[in-house]
Formats: sequence, C-alpha cells, structure tokens
Amino acid sequence: MEITTEQRGTVTVISIAGSVDGMTAASLIGSFRAQVTGGNIRIVGDFARVEYTSSAGLRALLETVKETRQQGGDLRLAGVQPDVLRVLELSGFTHILKLFPDIESAVASFPA
Amino acid sequence: MKARIERDAHLENLQAIRDFIEDACRRSGIERSTAFDLKLAVDEACTNIIEHGYAGREPGPIGISFDSGPEEVVVAITDRGRAFDPKSAPAPDLGSDWRRRPIGGLGWHLIRRFVDRIDYDSDARAGNRLTLVKKVSPAGRASTRSG
Repeated sequence: MEITTEQRGTVTVISIAGSVDGMTAASLIGSFRAQVTGGNIRIVGDFARVEYTSSAGLRALLETVKETRQQGGDLRLAGVQPDVLRVLELSGFTHILKLFPDIESAVASFPA
Repeated sequence: MKARIERDAHLENLQAIRDFIEDACRRSGIERSTAFDLKLAVDEACTNIIEHGYAGREPGPIGISFDSGPEEVVVAITDRGRAFDPKSAPAPDLGSDWRRRPIGGLGWHLIRRFVDRIDYDSDARAGNRLTLVKKVSPAGRASTRSG
C-alpha cells in the first residue's frame, strides 16, 4: 500500500493505492492521525486506487471521522471502487461517510 | 480443484493468504466478485486468529485448504491458537450515528455476509477448524478460463 498526501487549499487529500488490511491499516491510520494532530481536520481520502479493504480499514476510517468531526472537520471519500463500496455498504458505513465520485467534488464539498 | 497453504500467524502474511485464495479461485474459474467475497472472509478470519487466537503466545501456523466443487467452494482454516466459536461474536452495531458507533467489531459480521455457511470445531488435539462455504451459481463461474 502507498500513501501520498497533498494540500488543496484548506483540504488535505490523502491518496491511497493498494490493499488495506490488518497489516497496512497501521500506516493509513498513522497518516490520518498525523494530519489531525497537525490541525488538518478537512480530509479527503482518495480511494480511487484502493482495490481492497478489510474491517481494519473501516476502523481507520471511523476513528478519523470521529476525530475530525469532533473538531468541526470531516473525512470524506472520493472515487470508491465497487468492491470496496460493497464492504462499506454492508458495514453501514455509507450512512456515516460522505462519498464523492472524484477528488475535485470531494474537495469542493467543504465550505470555503 | 484442491489447494493448500500454511503460513505463520503474522499480519505480514495476510497478502500471501489473499493471493492464494485469489489464485485458487481464478484456477477454478470462479467469478471475480465471488473471489473477492471469499478473499475478504478468509482475511478477516485469519486476522482474528493472528490478533486474538495467538495473542500472548508464540505465533503458530495457520493452514488454509481450498476445495472447489460444482456448486460450492469450501475453505477450511486451521490453527492452534485460542479457541473462538464464531457464534459467540457479538452482533455489530450498524445503525448508530458516527458519535455512538463503536470502532471495530465488524470482522465476523463481514464473514457472515460474505459466505453462505460457517462451521466451527475445536478440540485440544486437532486444534481449531473454521470452515467457510460459499455457493457458486452457474452464473458465478467465469465463462472463459485462462491458464
């Protein structure tokens, strides 16, 4: 799994490529926590190149949603692929997370 | 088609375990989304064994056998860690809003949703054996085979 981070205005885009599982979720959660700790609480998770996630990835997402929203921010996802979307749906996460088709619309969804 | 692997109970081995399931499904002509379901269920079960079954112990082996027939795929996962009957896994909270939603507790829920039958057996001599059965409909098989 590879993670790259990019700032777009007030929004931090974290792009993930590969599989999120019990092994790799630790570095994903580390990247999310580093942003939140640094005061970046408007985060877009770019999932366009995530081909797989287990419940370990869901834990990372829920923890980050809680931490950002408690501070008035949010974690929103962009480009979620069909297999991963099914995991999110069956876990009730599509009611919790805001999903967008691409990075641009996810970034634009945050108030200026 | 039958296949088997054994790996030590380390999180680093999850990718190899998923690759094994994916490859066995492909060689059995099983459709991609069915293969994804099996891969996820096996990954979750193995993650539980690694994180809980062998917790506080020397990580032992996890054996995975794959057996695909005309109507179903049977994957048996064996280990020598602490026994855990899936029936005792609590039901997840899927309806709460984000404030009340607990972090974690979704592994067994996903296994139940992604396979059709779960059997579990544990005894001191043979160890633990979790069997996951996934039905394969005729439409669930790829119409063309490669390799």
